[in-house]
Amino acid sequence: MSDVLIELENVGIAFDAQRRVGGARFWALDDVTVSLRRGERLGVIGRNGAGKSTLLRVVAGILQPDRGRVRRAPVSCQLLSLALGFTPHLSGRDNAILSGLMLGLRRRDIVARLTAIKDFCELGDFFEQPIAAYSSGMVMRLAFSVAIQVEPDVLLIDEVLAVGDAEFQEKSGTALRERMGEGHTVVLVSHDEQQIATLCDRVLWIEHGKSVLEGDRDVVFEAYHRDLHLSGAPA
Amino acid sequence: MRQHLIELVLFSTYAELRAERARSYLGLIWWVLEPAMQMGAYWLLFGLILKTGGPDYLPMLLIGLTVWQWMKSCVTHGGYAIWTNLPLIRQVQLPPLVFPLVQMFADTIKFLYIFGLLLVILWCIGYPPNTAYFALPLVFVAVFLVAAGAGFVVSAVVPLLPDLRFVIEQVLTVVMFLSGVVFSLKSVPSPMREVLELNPIAVLMEATRGILLRGEWPNVVGLTKVSVISIAACMIGMTVVARLAPRYPKLAT
Repeated sequence: MSDVLIELENVGIAFDAQRRVGGARFWALDDVTVSLRRGERLGVIGRNGAGKSTLLRVVAGILQPDRGRVRRAPVSCQLLSLALGFTPHLSGRDNAILSGLMLGLRRRDIVARLTAIKDFCELGDFFEQPIAAYSSGMVMRLAFSVAIQVEPDVLLIDEVLAVGDAEFQEKSGTALRERMGEGHTVVLVSHDEQQIATLCDRVLWIEHGKSVLEGDRDVVFEAYHRDLHLSGAPA
Repeated sequence: MRQHLIELVLFSTYAELRAERARSYLGLIWWVLEPAMQMGAYWLLFGLILKTGGPDYLPMLLIGLTVWQWMKSCVTHGGYAIWTNLPLIRQVQLPPLVFPLVQMFADTIKFLYIFGLLLVILWCIGYPPNTAYFALPLVFVAVFLVAAGAGFVVSAVVPLLPDLRFVIEQVLTVVMFLSGVVFSLKSVPSPMREVLELNPIAVLMEATRGILLRGEWPNVVGLTKVSVISIAACMIGMTVVARLAPRYPKLAT
């Protein structure tokens, strides 16, 4: 049991549905139970609106449960967020430092990795220019290059596996798959079943905010497909 | 963890100032031009048209508006910071107090820049440096504590009730007029004057003007009282923010 890093027990999360006094709330997560062990790569599947991204933010510690319990070992969990804190009028270099700090890195660590970030994003002299002058593809290159530098104990990925043009998608996808293959503990949310099947050892299926099934990926996928077939929903 | 947060606040403050400079064509010049235009309007009204300003009205107004602008910026910019950063708060686990602190530090640096120019102006119009200047850091700490205390309380509540912004702007205008920022409380007849002088901001205005214009050491008892009240307000604000922190990422967009 000491290998369990994070454990969610009947967790529920309610959001405000409206910006008004006494407005209604809705339960994005209703009743989710799951545990994450050291070195495990857990995939999360479910239809749109099932609560997958909300679950990641609970694991990241961003959202506190409104009911149920979360137990966590003293480990760092970081959601792989792109362009976190990016400011248009700052240079690529300054944005890299700012975003790295927001992602939990110490300044000296980011500064030490600036050359690697600059090389990875391949922006050349644009790295010193305000990112307001970048195309959206260039911003994503910089954003990914910063985010991939973060090395938390538990890496949380919400669909972000590859960004940019075809060439950079190949590069960023490879970098992330290498990171996931280094024995890190990972939680991956994706609609791409092939990716989850390739990259994850275990799968959690959630639906309408409730955990339906958790276990071996083949068993969970089989049950998931059977349910999709019965309900007639697209995969 | 603590060192990381200090680095984050300091670099975010630098980023905020860089971004603000880059957002307009005149950049840093607006830091001076904006308060100068405001001073011009009050000087025109009270100094030239109503002629109620008195002999030292222009330097008194310069000092009052410079200090007030700093306080007001800390309260409004710091007070709205959690609300404006809700999208970020939904993505990353950071103490929400980071956001008001960044705004307050940025406004403090802008104030120090403007205050340096104010000193030069005062020296040029016949108010030279004096030994009471050594008390200025104490007064500034008290001013910052007042502003931070109010700013933290506002920052805690505005994300839940954003409509409060419209009320806060009006309240701040009333507070400015009740604090002797644009006129001297000495021109107010008793007993109203004694009542207005109970206002902590009025105490700080008077202390700053006394140092810069008359070389007077500030009233230590008054400053201490103001600081104690402000520290209490800061602690209340920080406690409320910490209590409400789990709610912020769940608020409706």
